[in-house]
Amino acid sequence: MIEWLTLDPLNGIATTIGFFISLIIGRYLRLWRERNMRGKMTDPRIKILISFLLITAITVMKHWYLPIAIAILCIAFAAKLRIIRDYGKKLIFPLVLALFIFIAQGFTYGVNAIHLGIISVYSEGLNYGFLIFSRVFASASILLLLAITTSENELLESMRYFRVPKTLLEISSFMVRYIKTFSSEGKQLKLAQESRCGFPKNAGFTKKMRNVASLLGALITRAFARSEEVYRAMLSRGWKPELRYSINTQPLDKRDLILGIMLSSGILVLLGLDRLV
Amino acid sequence: MHISDGILEPQWCIFWYAISAIFIALGLRIINKRIKDDPSYLPRISLIGAVVFVISVWHIPVPVTGSSSHPVGTPLASIIIGPFATVVVSAIAIFFQTFVGHGGLTTIGANTFSMGIVGTFSGYIVYRMLKNISPLWFSAGMAGFVGSMLTYITAALELALSLNPGNVVYYWKLYAMGFIPTQLPLCVAEFAFTGYVIKHISETKPEVVAPAGARLDRFTKIALMLMILITSLLAIGAYLGHLRGSDMAGTDSIVGALAAPGAISNGIGVRLMARFGEPVGFALVGIIGGLVTGYYWDALKGRKSDD
Repeated sequence: MIEWLTLDPLNGIATTIGFFISLIIGRYLRLWRERNMRGKMTDPRIKILISFLLITAITVMKHWYLPIAIAILCIAFAAKLRIIRDYGKKLIFPLVLALFIFIAQGFTYGVNAIHLGIISVYSEGLNYGFLIFSRVFASASILLLLAITTSENELLESMRYFRVPKTLLEISSFMVRYIKTFSSEGKQLKLAQESRCGFPKNAGFTKKMRNVASLLGALITRAFARSEEVYRAMLSRGWKPELRYSINTQPLDKRDLILGIMLSSGILVLLGLDRLV
Repeated sequence: MHISDGILEPQWCIFWYAISAIFIALGLRIINKRIKDDPSYLPRISLIGAVVFVISVWHIPVPVTGSSSHPVGTPLASIIIGPFATVVVSAIAIFFQTFVGHGGLTTIGANTFSMGIVGTFSGYIVYRMLKNISPLWFSAGMAGFVGSMLTYITAALELALSLNPGNVVYYWKLYAMGFIPTQLPLCVAEFAFTGYVIKHISETKPEVVAPAGARLDRFTKIALMLMILITSLLAIGAYLGHLRGSDMAGTDSIVGALAAPGAISNGIGVRLMARFGEPVGFALVGIIGGLVTGYYWDALKGRKSDD
């Protein structure tokens, strides 16, 4: 049972050394984090950059083990943050598409057929389909954690740092500001229509669609009217199309920078591990 | 139809980013020019963009299935604020939608291409083509239907190109067919939704959309009805033939022997059809025949055109 000990001790030695060195590094990392990062949130720019790098790394991974491990870690993190229900709900949509691809690949792609009674599936298709599924699971998990821990304003500020064009940024700022307003206005309009016997449950498709269309049409005409008011408010505050904003944003904190470099190196290690497996 | 992260291979993510970036840059250029002439354009498109975002996550009833789903919304936006501004606004909307679980960071380019570019331009072109020959609600509805349908077909193409590059056409059809049970009813919903919204706006704030289109004249109505009737007869005939085992073998040899016995077997028409495929060749024949007949219709009937 333990032939490896006498015949091939190299694996055991490598595992032992690897484990204990990682144990020491892990402990020091924890101590460093507690000393330097206590009560301090990670810079959203670092979060966005690292998330993007990690998602890109997952996209190029050739095996499903690491993406699944990352997804499980994200689930554990979501459970720790007590957001598992919201997280689970948002995860459904990407997983449905991934499942569709898994099934399509499993039934059609490959040459090595596995007969399961009246149906046949292909091993190559199943492998590739599951790889795609695991990648989607991990990427969506990371993205949802990023979304839950980063506000829209932080995103916009980060976009400024990443030199997104001014007009794009201005439109984005307006959209972020008014999406919530119009969303709540739409809900109010719907409530008002319902209280006046609109949206009856037994209405047919045409009637329902007319109701929804009148509501959303009213929302669009309101947006037009409001845009005039917003424009006047902008002019009264001295806005001009040729106005240039300062692109000087707050520089990155040294600790955030170190964290970013460490996490980027970790992503590279993950990629290396994926290639070695 | 949002493609999530992890589905497309990296080279395809970069490719769709590059294509979308060109359209976004063009859109930004047009918006900046317009803002110089009319500064109120900036808050207008931004607020309309916000409303379109709200609409695109609003539940609309879907026929047949009895459930509800989200419309694409870009054909509607293109009718109101124009196609290039819609590309920019939809790219921003897609970026923010990634943070509510729809789409992904690496697939923003691919999603912008399918929804923001193909959905927008196809819808807008259909609207412009039909606006003057059909009622406003119909042209807007058709814009919604075509825009929505082409969005799904493009998304299926993006999947096939990335996942199965060795057999793109087969997988394109497979993914498109896979989407049909859920997306075809949604396209019908998008037709009704876009048509009704534009009709409502044209009645309450007509300056927002272009003036109402003309009604269909008798000639157009009869032509459209004949088109639907003949196509249906052909489809039914082909299906019946298929049931009897003929497998849509066609009538090439019979037509060849009876109608054109002296035709050159390797003429330009035959060579073109061999190169581009028979459906394209026959469509070309139909287009040329229809254009010539339509152009000389009134002269053939011996009276002047109505307009």
